[in-house]
Amino acid sequence: MDVIEVRGLTKTYRRRRRPALRALDGLDLTVGSGGVHGFLGPNGSGKTTTIRALLGLVRADEGELRLFGRPVPKELPAVIGQVGALVETPLFFPTFAGRLNLQLLAETAGVSRGRVEECLELVDLRDRAGERFKGYSLGMKQRLGIAAALLKQPRLLVLDEPSNGLDPAGIRDVRELVRRLGADGHTTVFLSSHLLAEVEQVCDSVSIMARGRCVASGPVSDVLAGRSSGDVRVRVDDLAAGRAVLERAGHRVSDDDGALLVAGVQAPADLTRLLAGSGHWVSELTPVAVDLEEAFLALTADAVPEARP
Amino acid sequence: MSTALEVPPAPATSRRGSLLRAELHRFRSRRMVRVLLLLAVLGFVGGVATASTQYAKTSPARVAAAEAERQQILVESEGYRRQCLDQVGGDAAEEQCGPPLTLDNLGDLSNFLRPAPFRLAEDGRNGVVAVAVLTAALAFLLGATYVGAEWSTRSMVALLFWEPRRLRVMAAKLTILAVLSAVLAVLAAAAWLLAARALAATRGTGDGPPGLFGELVGSAGRGVLLVVLMSLLGFGVANLLRNTAAAFGFGFVYFAIVENIVRGVRPRWQPYLLTENTLALLQEGGLKIFLNESFVDSTGAYQTGGREVLVGNLHGALVLTAVTAVVVAAGVVLFARRDLD
Repeated sequence: MDVIEVRGLTKTYRRRRRPALRALDGLDLTVGSGGVHGFLGPNGSGKTTTIRALLGLVRADEGELRLFGRPVPKELPAVIGQVGALVETPLFFPTFAGRLNLQLLAETAGVSRGRVEECLELVDLRDRAGERFKGYSLGMKQRLGIAAALLKQPRLLVLDEPSNGLDPAGIRDVRELVRRLGADGHTTVFLSSHLLAEVEQVCDSVSIMARGRCVASGPVSDVLAGRSSGDVRVRVDDLAAGRAVLERAGHRVSDDDGALLVAGVQAPADLTRLLAGSGHWVSELTPVAVDLEEAFLALTADAVPEARP
Repeated sequence: MSTALEVPPAPATSRRGSLLRAELHRFRSRRMVRVLLLLAVLGFVGGVATASTQYAKTSPARVAAAEAERQQILVESEGYRRQCLDQVGGDAAEEQCGPPLTLDNLGDLSNFLRPAPFRLAEDGRNGVVAVAVLTAALAFLLGATYVGAEWSTRSMVALLFWEPRRLRVMAAKLTILAVLSAVLAVLAAAAWLLAARALAATRGTGDGPPGLFGELVGSAGRGVLLVVLMSLLGFGVANLLRNTAAAFGFGFVYFAIVENIVRGVRPRWQPYLLTENTLALLQEGGLKIFLNESFVDSTGAYQTGGREVLVGNLHGALVLTAVTAVVVAAGVVLFARRDLD
């Protein structure tokens, strides 16, 4: 069963003395069970609105939204116990201790105090849990937010920019934690992040948002392959002769730092055959990989601008 | 966070969750609530201690001294009157110098006892009203800060990650607030009645008309209703404005400005003002209000007029309940329907 299913979700914010803002424009999104799903998009692309709609904080104008197969928000109470969330900044009482903030949430759902201590231990905050939240550093606040999201041992963990404010060691630990959760067979992590490298390292699948729509979705490798240019880097001993052979065969060729860059190659093996047939032995044949950042920029730039109401 | 990244396999839920229990815990953990309650206790104790120094039990010697003072005033007054009659003379003297002063003019003997004795029938009754009004003001603050802080910290939104049924969340908060404010009001009223009886026993008299204690308990009961309503009103205003300070400001503007403008410009609306209805609810038999209906007629002449209306206990209770219900309901409906940031 898919954990998240979104069909035709539309949301327009009406604003005083300003034109209405269409945050979601017929969004379709599916997140399968298990693993880590990255949720990418530029500012204003509708990521946070989508997450808020998932959690029942925002009502969509049109469309369907399901969590674990249950329609949201109508049956959200039935599944909220399986959903943990950290949305933007952690929301806690500043004058309460970190531990008390978690205990208050735990009491709401009947989570044991022992579990509170375990989650504090998990984010390495147990020694500071008696201190007031307002005295915490940004990273400690973020870690407490992650601990709160984990209290319920959720089947779906929604993390919105979880690395915000963390030091490099903290970022590494969060990534490790996310990886482990995604691989535990119990948890699906829905990770919204601006850190493309983080998403590429951690996520099994990804959805990319632009202007309120999902412009690409699937396993990370598929999304990258979909944006691959088909460029291939080729090295032979005689670059000038090799280039001439390739150009005679109709390929677009340019120099690339001691090698040749052949554009738009459908089948790289054809280049090997072509060059070998002309007596040029190939010493390098490398498809030029697209990283997530390039794919992201290309996809979000490709999205056709919609007329805003 | 490097020591234990394994997710522990503990059971997520070992007992049934309780929104009410969590809300009670949240309410009593608030430092502002604790500070306000501590100040209230200190204020009550200080007030009773101060009151105890302002009263003293009567004794034959003090009664005799008061009687002597009263007689002295009568004698002196009569002396001044005779001087006046002699100076003015003629038929106009009686009119100008006035009639002789009598004991009735001087009022009760207790007015000449300094310090006066504590009278349960009068001071005790006033105390019940004062304690109810002060507790109601405290309850308004508690109600406003309870929900206002939830909005300012946005922990209200975090709570919805755990209990998305917004009406249920509001109902839990309102229930806890109503119950705790009722307990607070009962404790305050009981404390005052005990203090009043102690003051009457040690610093005055518990004499009064038949059924006095029942009347005091009745006033205290209406005070409990007032306290509960004011706590809910404070909650409702802060919930609508989503800010504690804004709720306090709104309360100040209403009581200090709006009501006075209404009394001056639209006196007929007085029976619907919160202050008048508060007093009408608390006072035995309600509150009599003089409605000034003077006006300038078509010729430009000023015509005086007015009438007295009685705003009863029930009227006061109904108006306060209706206002509170409208404000709370508006806030709850908006909370249930609005998108949350």
